[in-house]
Amino acid sequence: MKNIYLVPLILSIFSLAVIAIALQLDTSPEMIVGDSMQARSFPIFLMILKLILIGILSFQFYKNNPKPVALEKYHTWGSMFLFLLFYLLTIHTDMFIGIFVVIFLMSILWGERRIWVAFLTATITPGLVFLLFDYVLKIRFPRGILMNLYYG
Amino acid sequence: MFEQAISAMASVVVDPYLLGLIFATTILGVIIGVLPGLGATTGAALLLPFTLTMDPVHAIAVLATIYVSATFAGSITAILINTPGTSAAAATTFDGYPLAQKGEAGRALGIAVISSTVGGIFSVLILCFAAPLLARVAYEFRSPEYFALTVFGLSMLASISAGGAVKNLIGGIFGVWLSTIGAERVTGIERFMFGNYELYEGLHFVPIFIGLFAISELLVQSKTVDKIIKTVSMKAVKLPTLEDYKKIWKTILRSCGIGTFIGVLPAEGATVASMIGYSEARRWSKNKKEFGKGSIEGIAGAEAANNAATGGAMVPTMVLGIPGSGTTAIILVGLMVHGLRPGVYLFTEQVEKVYQIFGSMFVANVMFMLMGLYAAKLFARVSLVPTQILWPIVFALSVIGAYAFQGQLLDVWLALIFGVIGFFARRHGFSVAPIAVGLILGEMVETNLQHSLKMFDGAWWMILTQPLALMFLVFAFLGLCGPMIFSWITKQKD
Repeated sequence: MKNIYLVPLILSIFSLAVIAIALQLDTSPEMIVGDSMQARSFPIFLMILKLILIGILSFQFYKNNPKPVALEKYHTWGSMFLFLLFYLLTIHTDMFIGIFVVIFLMSILWGERRIWVAFLTATITPGLVFLLFDYVLKIRFPRGILMNLYYG
Repeated sequence: MFEQAISAMASVVVDPYLLGLIFATTILGVIIGVLPGLGATTGAALLLPFTLTMDPVHAIAVLATIYVSATFAGSITAILINTPGTSAAAATTFDGYPLAQKGEAGRALGIAVISSTVGGIFSVLILCFAAPLLARVAYEFRSPEYFALTVFGLSMLASISAGGAVKNLIGGIFGVWLSTIGAERVTGIERFMFGNYELYEGLHFVPIFIGLFAISELLVQSKTVDKIIKTVSMKAVKLPTLEDYKKIWKTILRSCGIGTFIGVLPAEGATVASMIGYSEARRWSKNKKEFGKGSIEGIAGAEAANNAATGGAMVPTMVLGIPGSGTTAIILVGLMVHGLRPGVYLFTEQVEKVYQIFGSMFVANVMFMLMGLYAAKLFARVSLVPTQILWPIVFALSVIGAYAFQGQLLDVWLALIFGVIGFFARRHGFSVAPIAVGLILGEMVETNLQHSLKMFDGAWWMILTQPLALMFLVFAFLGLCGPMIFSWITKQKD
């Protein structure tokens, strides 16, 4: 199978999965739904419509034979990996530690050679944003190592 | 009504806090507009969480100001570095950059500033008059009409500039499906929640939009880290001469009309408007050969149209709750978050607020003109901020902004997940704007379909017996199948 058909395939599997899950949803008694529709009907209708459109898209691919998308450089995949790192650091340490580490590493990953510039960006940005949200907008941030120290 | 509108608009000028806010936001909007990749939509998505604690009028004024000023500012980088700050300024590069290369960057910017201002102010005036009239028509709408109107709005997604028609519709349907996550409104049955009760009221727009527009853009920009930007030198912005005005006034007026009309169409926006404005300027010009080589008519045509679309796009957003573009989708969310329900109610019960918002847009247009004329050179330097500094900052603003909306970490994860989804969608030629518009319109479509079915005892075809509903559905059909039918007819004739 050609690479270009991967997208329609994934979209089709997703649509079929949604239909399968929708069919498992509870049904409401007739007296509540009346002449309207069950909760499952609308998502199923949408996915059928989507499957038809995926069929048309596949036909367009067959006729036009588009070029496969070139693979991105390590910057993109590395950035996505940093999102995962941010998740882990936020869950296990603190959201602001996560932000600091990700900004610092992202700057380096994207080509910043001056370590002190990356460090300052990673320190000043979350600091300023924290002050703005905490003092001006009165937002309480999730507890973690740093926030426990701050909130007490 | 008229007096109330005038006094509400005038109140903007005598409110120093609001004026200061518009001034500061215009600076921010111009900075956002000149930074390649950021643009009005990403900027509005990032700023939305900051507006949560503001007064509703101030909050919407901030978002609307970002919209108009960033749309204009895209032209600064389009002219000076051949990189449109926003997609709406793409057509400006065709003639703006060649004129700048001839050593007339100041003249090109002057024409862009004046054309954008005229376009923006013209569309705000049209907005002031057209929106209440449309609201009166909308007063007659019931569920079948609203259902048909939202279907029409969704069908227009097919013609959004980026991505193909089929891909845009797939994106739109995905967005509508996202709106079904959570408890169903009528029966309370939980759909696609997988036991996660934070999703009971459905997906909230703010984190999803931050993900789709800001985080996905970050990943897209990661592909351009090696790009070297060169600027064209410029002494000062020059106002157009009398000779220039004689050459471009007709083009500006034509583009004002085109831009406003395109903006009013659901799901169309400044990008489409500027492209059509540019091509029409070329079609009507006596100097067609100059186009592509530094024609001032080309710059005026594109710039007047894209800023005229900003006011036009606010019409369906505020009157019908149907966003005219990605940025107006965010403004619509802003309206909802602040309890300003778009529609007839807004124009009958909260007229003052509506006209204050219009007044703010008017003031923002004047402010960006002054900034464009006197500080464009300075703002152009902002575009040289290294991507390795800028985008990590955007990451921080995105995650904290997503969290601040409800104080839930789930929203941060959703923003990141939708950022990755948005990136992969864009990687394969799907635009993210249809997903956002679909998400907003999804609830309207389903709820109005349910109400219509109840109205007609389950006989869905009765929707077609309602004249206005039928008209919208015919428009939707023509929007979807019209191009195919016309090309088939043309082939048959040939």
